[in-house]
Amino acid sequence: MTATAERQMELTLPMVPDIEIAAARAAGNLARELGMPSESIDEMAHAIIEACINAREHSGSADQRIYVRIRGTSLGEGNSRIDIWITDRGRGFDISEARTRRQKLGAAHKRGWGLQIIEAHMDEVGISTRPDGTTIHMVKHGKRS
Amino acid sequence: MTDELRVAVERRGTTGAVLYTKGYINNVGGEEIANRAYELMEEGVRSLLLNLRETKIVNSIGISILIEIIEKMIDKGGRIGFCSLTPVIHKTFQIMGLANYASIYTDEETAQKEMGL
Repeated sequence: MTATAERQMELTLPMVPDIEIAAARAAGNLARELGMPSESIDEMAHAIIEACINAREHSGSADQRIYVRIRGTSLGEGNSRIDIWITDRGRGFDISEARTRRQKLGAAHKRGWGLQIIEAHMDEVGISTRPDGTTIHMVKHGKRS
Repeated sequence: MTDELRVAVERRGTTGAVLYTKGYINNVGGEEIANRAYELMEEGVRSLLLNLRETKIVNSIGISILIEIIEKMIDKGGRIGFCSLTPVIHKTFQIMGLANYASIYTDEETAQKEMGL
């Protein structure tokens, strides 16, 4: 399938409370232009929110910025995809430890669900993490409803 | 920037209540819900329904606070139900296991019947 149209945007966001909503809204607007179904847009929004919260809460980045890149691609025949990259310049994290973390009722610590939520809501997720930063690349596919 | 969470409560008898939320359930919103829920528990409420009809976004920190509310209610011998969730919030609750410890209903009428509110 050949890509027929592509739009991109880049945001640099301060790590302040609720800034994740700005990223989710930007991606949502692009997805709506591509005709993505509302439920897909909602899923994508929740994944973006968790990725931004992880960056804000856990990255320990010195510059206190979240770098968001969003690319929407119309693939023809009503099909589209959104690629989102959420990047921080923090200290990185242990992916396998984060993936196996499962809090249960009664556990003292109930947080750390972000990655599970991201992976459940998105079609593809790739993580690149190093001691100088982390990028989460998420993909959502859609078909015009 | 966001829809600051608003909470409204309707008492149902001496031991029941419905808590309505409007807006984003994040850490601040979750704490607001928890404060109201704990007040209700202190007043003797043991069947608490959370109607999330006007909440479209939640995050994992907010849900972790909801789980704490469920734990506290279970400790008191009561129960908590949720109703009117968006499909994505419902899915997120299932991912986090919340659905294993609280009942989830499609709408308030069904919840009221099932919970005896």
